[in-house]
Amino acid sequence: MKPDHFERNQALASEYVVGTLQGAARKRFEHWMMESPRLRRQVWYWERRLEPFNNTLPKTTPPAQLWDQIEQRLFPEPQASNVAAGQGQGLWFWRWSAGLAMAALLVVLIWTPLPSQSTQGVVAVVQSEQAQPLWVMNASAADHSLTMKALPSVATNTGQDFELWLLLESGVPVSLTVLPTEGAELRIQLSNEQARELLKSRSLAISLEPKGGSPTGQPTGPVLYHTQLVDF
Amino acid sequence: MDCDNERLVTLLAKSAQGDRQSFASLYQQTSAAVYGMCVHLLRNTDEAQDVLQETYIQVWHHAGEYHADRGTPITWMMSIGRYRCLDALRRRRHHVDFQQVESIQESDAPGPMQMADAQSERQRLSDCLKDLDERYRATIEMAYYRGFTHQELALAMGQPLGTTKSLVRRGLSVLRRCLGS
Repeated sequence: MKPDHFERNQALASEYVVGTLQGAARKRFEHWMMESPRLRRQVWYWERRLEPFNNTLPKTTPPAQLWDQIEQRLFPEPQASNVAAGQGQGLWFWRWSAGLAMAALLVVLIWTPLPSQSTQGVVAVVQSEQAQPLWVMNASAADHSLTMKALPSVATNTGQDFELWLLLESGVPVSLTVLPTEGAELRIQLSNEQARELLKSRSLAISLEPKGGSPTGQPTGPVLYHTQLVDF
Repeated sequence: MDCDNERLVTLLAKSAQGDRQSFASLYQQTSAAVYGMCVHLLRNTDEAQDVLQETYIQVWHHAGEYHADRGTPITWMMSIGRYRCLDALRRRRHHVDFQQVESIQESDAPGPMQMADAQSERQRLSDCLKDLDERYRATIEMAYYRGFTHQELALAMGQPLGTTKSLVRRGLSVLRRCLGS
């Protein structure tokens, strides 16, 4: 049963932040957080309120090599030797556009593991600036499918479509599909290579394109959302 | 917003745009706080280092998701780190040093909250905790600072599980009323 009143939500949110909400209850709560902006705000309230606890803890400088390890994991290949000129342009374009879009729209992405799933997969929810969910995306590693469910609030635009792009680790965008709108659901089959790349980069972006999708195979409109898929 | 926070927000925004130098500065300025918390919670430097890595990888990938409702940038990053620490604790099913727990409960030394500075948020939390019934305060602090589960709290405090769950819930409810007043 979902938490449905203020006091109960508050109690669960506070126990989630403190950490005593655990196991299946914690997973369920994280799932509810995906669906409820109000619940997320209550969690943020507690995170802010209890933050002074953290300030009282002693600071400890981590070993210097830790930063090297983080860099190696995030940026595993030397940029110059591994990114071809065209790809470099793509990377630049995407980072620039994504940055602008983020600054303009302040998109909030909330993710959480889903409970009771037996097959490995990844999930993301794309939300608007008002914390309204727009699309829920699930990718299954088992059958290489990607399911996109549009919330009813995603309106159809007569002249334009939302196009979904897989961002390779190099930053190069690969078109996946035009996204559904107004509550519709779409399931597509990924190629082996697309599935492999998606599980590697976990990065997706959504751009606004002419009806039917980008005519060039590369994004032509503004990048509205940039999101990461996570395990569930 | 103070200068530190403004600077961190700028670094986060630039990191969201793929600026590695800004991300490196962000790490330089915040990692000691996050790592200190992880070491404190996990009491294991290897695990704390693993969690720190995962935390900053998440920060890099999700920097664009930060917004003011999440608190200051350091609040947001500490929350990411803290939840990862809690996950690590749960995976480990760590053995609690209950002698140490008792010494924490019974110590006359100033608790962490007594050391909190005069900043209003801290002061407010500190005041509210001081006003809490001792049993409420102890359960909340142990859960937060040590990542104890209900079962571990019950064991540490020598109380039935049901009583412990009620203590946590009632304590947090009283704390919220105080913080919100």
